[in-house]
Amino acid sequence: MNRTLIGFIKKELTQTLRDKRMRVLLFVMPVIQLTLFGVAISTEVKNIRLAAVFDSKDTVVRHIYERSINGSWFIPARGSGQDPYKLVEADEADAVLVPPPGGFTRSLGRGDAQLQLLVNATNVLQAQAIEGYLKNIIQQTLQDDLNMSQAAPPIRISTRVLFNPALETSIFMVPGTLCMIMIITTMVMANIAIVREKEMGTFEMLISAPVSRSEVIYGKTVPYVILGMSNFPLVLAVAVFIFHVPMRGSLPVIFIAAFAFVCTAVALGTLISTYCKNQQQASLAGFLFMFPMIMFSGLMFPIENIPDAIRWISYLDPLMHYMGLLRNIMLKGGETSYVVTHISILALMAVITVIASFRRFHTTLE
Amino acid sequence: MNPFVWQRAAAISRKEVFHIIRDPFTLAAALVLPVFMVLIFGVAIEFNVKKVALVVSDADQTQSSRRLLDTFGSSGYFLLQHAGSPNDAIEDVTAERARAALIIPPRFEKDLYAGRGAQAQILVDGSDNSTVGPVLGYVGSIQTIASRRIGNFNSPNTYELRTRFLFNPELNSRWFVIPGITVVIMAILSILLTALTVAREWENGSMELLLSTPVQPLEIIVGKVAPYGALGLIAVTFVYIIARTVFGVPFVGNLAVFGLGCLLFLVTYLALGLLISVVTRKQVVAMQFAMMLGMLPTQLLSGFIFPVESMPAFFQYFTMLLPARWFMRIARDTFLKGSSLLDLGGAFLALLIFCGMMIFVATRRFKRDLEP
Repeated sequence: MNRTLIGFIKKELTQTLRDKRMRVLLFVMPVIQLTLFGVAISTEVKNIRLAAVFDSKDTVVRHIYERSINGSWFIPARGSGQDPYKLVEADEADAVLVPPPGGFTRSLGRGDAQLQLLVNATNVLQAQAIEGYLKNIIQQTLQDDLNMSQAAPPIRISTRVLFNPALETSIFMVPGTLCMIMIITTMVMANIAIVREKEMGTFEMLISAPVSRSEVIYGKTVPYVILGMSNFPLVLAVAVFIFHVPMRGSLPVIFIAAFAFVCTAVALGTLISTYCKNQQQASLAGFLFMFPMIMFSGLMFPIENIPDAIRWISYLDPLMHYMGLLRNIMLKGGETSYVVTHISILALMAVITVIASFRRFHTTLE
Repeated sequence: MNPFVWQRAAAISRKEVFHIIRDPFTLAAALVLPVFMVLIFGVAIEFNVKKVALVVSDADQTQSSRRLLDTFGSSGYFLLQHAGSPNDAIEDVTAERARAALIIPPRFEKDLYAGRGAQAQILVDGSDNSTVGPVLGYVGSIQTIASRRIGNFNSPNTYELRTRFLFNPELNSRWFVIPGITVVIMAILSILLTALTVAREWENGSMELLLSTPVQPLEIIVGKVAPYGALGLIAVTFVYIIARTVFGVPFVGNLAVFGLGCLLFLVTYLALGLLISVVTRKQVVAMQFAMMLGMLPTQLLSGFIFPVESMPAFFQYFTMLLPARWFMRIARDTFLKGSSLLDLGGAFLALLIFCGMMIFVATRRFKRDLEP
C-alpha cells in the first residue's frame, strides 16, 4: 500500500472518530440495540388476555379456561362476564371462549358440541397462534375430563426441531438484527461521508490534489470497511456471550462472510453517493435502499411466501445472503456448499458494485 | 422572551418550501417513496406460510408411504423433493435446500397393517422461526387426514371449535400489514426529512445569519415542521387511497380520527427529527442518530409484526415511550375495528404528550449561541 493511501485512510478515520458522539453511535449503540431487541422480541405469542363466558355448572369450559391461564401463554382478561364481542372490541380481551346456550358440558353429552372462539385478528400472526394454542388445550382438557381414551391414530408423525430445539427466539433473531445494525454502520456511513465532502466542496480540492482517482476511491471506502469490520467482533460477542447463540461454525469463515458483506455494503453506499448532491438526498436514498433490504431479508417474514413475480428482489438483497450465512454458520456449523455459494454471491455483488461505483465516480469527477 | 409571531414562522416556512421545491429529489422521496413501498410490501408480505420446501427420505417405498407423501403434497403447504437416506435429507436442511425433512422408516406399511401404528418423523429447521410454528401446526392436521385416508381411521370428533376472527375474518395478511407499514414508513421518513435541516444550516453557516434576525426558536421549529407536516399528510392520503383501492383494505373507522392521529404522529416525528438536528448540529451524526432511533425501533418494537404484549414486562412499559407504538394502535384500530376517538383516548393522549414534549425540548435545546 502506498503512503498517500495510508495517510488518506488515517485522515478519514480520525475525522469520523473525532466526534465523541460518533464513537458512541458506532461502537456503543449497536451493542445496546442488539441487546434490547434480543431481549424484547419474541416470535412466540404470549400474555394473551383470555376471557370465557360460563356458568358454574359448565365444568369443561371452566377447566379449559383454568388450564389456559395456568399455562404460559394466557393471562386472565379484565371484566369477564360482559358481552363477548364488546370485550374484544373495547380491547379488554384478545380472545373469548363462548359456550353454546345450556353450556358446553351438556352439549358434549348430546353429541353436537360446539364451542365458539372470538379472536381479535387485527394482528394476523397473533390470531393464528391463539387458535392453535387453544385447540391443543381444549383437546387435552377433553381427554382428561371425559376420560376419552382416544384411540391412537394409525399414523403418527412425530416432530423434532433441529438446531434450536427450545425454539428460542433470540437464537434466530439476534443474528438477524446483527445484520440490520451492521448495514447502518457501513452503507449509510460510507454514503454520507462522500456526499458530505461533495456538499462542502472539499471534494474538488481532492481532485485537484496530486492523488490518483483510485486513491481517492480507496481512501474514501477502505476506512468504512475497517470500521464495519471492527464493529463485527463486538456485535458477534454480544450474540454469543449474552444471548448464547451457538457458534458452531468456524470463526475465520464467519469473518470472511462478514468481510464480503461489509465490502458490498460500503461499495453500495459509494455507488449511491454518486447520485446524491447533498446529505439530505443521501439520507433519503439510504432509507430507499435500506428499508427494502431489511424487509426482503427474511427476518420479518419468510421469503418463500413472497409471490414469484417479486421474489427475485430477495436474491438481489445482500442482506438476505448475509443473514442466511450468519444463521447457517452459527447455528448449523456452515454447510460447505451453501457457505461457498453465498459468500461467492456476496463477493460477486461486491465486485459489481465496486466496478459500477468506480465508473460512476470517474464520470461524476470529470 | 419575545412573543411568538406568526409572520416570522410563516417566513421560515416559506423559505423551507422553496428549499423543498428546489430539490425535486426530496419532494419525490417524500411523496413517491411511501406509495412505492406500500405497493411493494403490500404485494410481498404474506404470513400464511405456504410452499415450505420439504425433503423426503422414504425408506419404505410402498403404496402407503407414497399416499402419505401425496397427503403432504396435496395439502398445498409443502413442496416435496426427494432424498436418499435420512442423513441426505438432514444434509439438505443444513444446506438450506429444504426447511423440513420427512423421514419415513422401512416397515411403515407393515406396521400400519399390523395395527402397531406407523411412525414417521418430521425434522424442522429451527434456524428460521417464522416457518417453524406454522409447520408444526400443519403436521397435526396432516396426521389426522393421513390417518383417515390411509388408515381408514375416523377420530371421534366430539366437538367443533368455531373460531371467529374478528375485524379480519379471513386473516388477510394485507389488512394487517398495510396499516402497519404505513406507520413505519411515515415515522422513518418524517425523522429523515427534518433530521438534517437544522444541522445543515449550522454547517452551511446560514444559522448564524438566522440567529442575527429577531426570529425565535419556537418560530423556527414551527416554521420548519409545518411544510414537512403538510407533505407528510399528502403522502398519507396517497397511501390511504392505495390501501383502499389496490389492496381493498377496509376502513371502518372515522377518517377524521385517523387524520388527527396522522397529524399528531407526523408532527411528533418531525419534531423528533428537529430535536436530533438541533442537538447534533452535524449532518453525519444526525443521520446516524435518525437511522438508529427511527429505523430499527419502529420496525421491531412498535408492534408492527412482533406483538408488544408478547414482550417481557419491562418492554411493555418501555415501548410506551415509542410514539410509533401508539399510532400503530390508532392506525390498525381505525382501519379494521372502527374505534372512536374515545376508545383510543389513551393512545391519543400519549401522542399529544410526546408531540408537545418534542416541540418543547427542541425549542429549549435550540441554543442561540454560536459556540458549538
